[in-house]
Amino acid sequence: MKAISTVLSCLFLVSFISAQEQFLTKKGMISFFSKTPIENIKAENNQVLSIVDASNGQMAIAILMKSFMFDKALMQEHFNENYVESDKYPKATFKGTILDFDKITVLETFKAINGNLTMHGITKEITIEASIKKTSNAIKMTGDFFINLADFGVEIPPIVKNNISEKIKISFRFQHIPYKK
Amino acid sequence: MNNKKVKRRISILLIIGILGLFIGYKIYNKPHLNVARESADIRRTANMLLADFSTDETKANTKYLDKIVAVKGIISSVDLESEKRSITLLTTDNFGSVICYLTEDNSQNSMPIKAGQAVTLKGICTGFLMDVILVKCVITDLK
Repeated sequence: MKAISTVLSCLFLVSFISAQEQFLTKKGMISFFSKTPIENIKAENNQVLSIVDASNGQMAIAILMKSFMFDKALMQEHFNENYVESDKYPKATFKGTILDFDKITVLETFKAINGNLTMHGITKEITIEASIKKTSNAIKMTGDFFINLADFGVEIPPIVKNNISEKIKISFRFQHIPYKK
Repeated sequence: MNNKKVKRRISILLIIGILGLFIGYKIYNKPHLNVARESADIRRTANMLLADFSTDETKANTKYLDKIVAVKGIISSVDLESEKRSITLLTTDNFGSVICYLTEDNSQNSMPIKAGQAVTLKGICTGFLMDVILVKCVITDLK
């Protein structure tokens, strides 16, 4: 009986510790920006799920493609139907590691994050720079990087070639808080 | 005589051209779906909606994505993030739930919303991460 209760309390403690080390946000922001002389296209997604494991600096992000909101309804339609084919590929994901995670403090520093980005059914290794700061009850990350549409098999029809940039700027902002349930 | 014909042709062409431009402009600036004015395609309770996604996500995606879903439930929390309000609904699942992001109009509306209230919202379903996500939600009933 005593052994069982000891085991149980140990398990409870372990789960408590690991729960403390998970930082999470369900309301992360990712936006993208395509700049051409003809028009600028911008869309924002405020429902990004991002989890950071503070014990080893690993992170995982999941994005719903249909949550990208555009100014123009027509652009949103084209984005979903013709470019990212969100019915076929409803999510984009990123799994990676924040390098030198243990050196991050309450002061904002730039760190590299290396990992795999999967979008439109294609996975590619990327390294991005992020400004990160960590306190006991928050991990805040912001930054931006560029992706090539061609790398992810997104084809732009020749007729709108001049309206959409080949290089898309992606910006992100995550405010992770300790995960508790 | 000849001159008149040419003039007429030119004016017809001009009218067609202007009409074309106008239609093109209208399509380009097509407005977003106004959830408040549309009726819901599907009605579910928060528990039913979450259960559909947790049992078979692919099937649920074909059923719910891009649809206007009316969902009924009890509010577990109300959050405000960068001026946008979201309502999380209580479910019997202890991991996931249903999160409804309100439209800007509904966000700014200072209507008091509290945890524990029964609510019916309708919004566009964009998918499932840890929770089922509805965007552009409007509150249709609050008790």
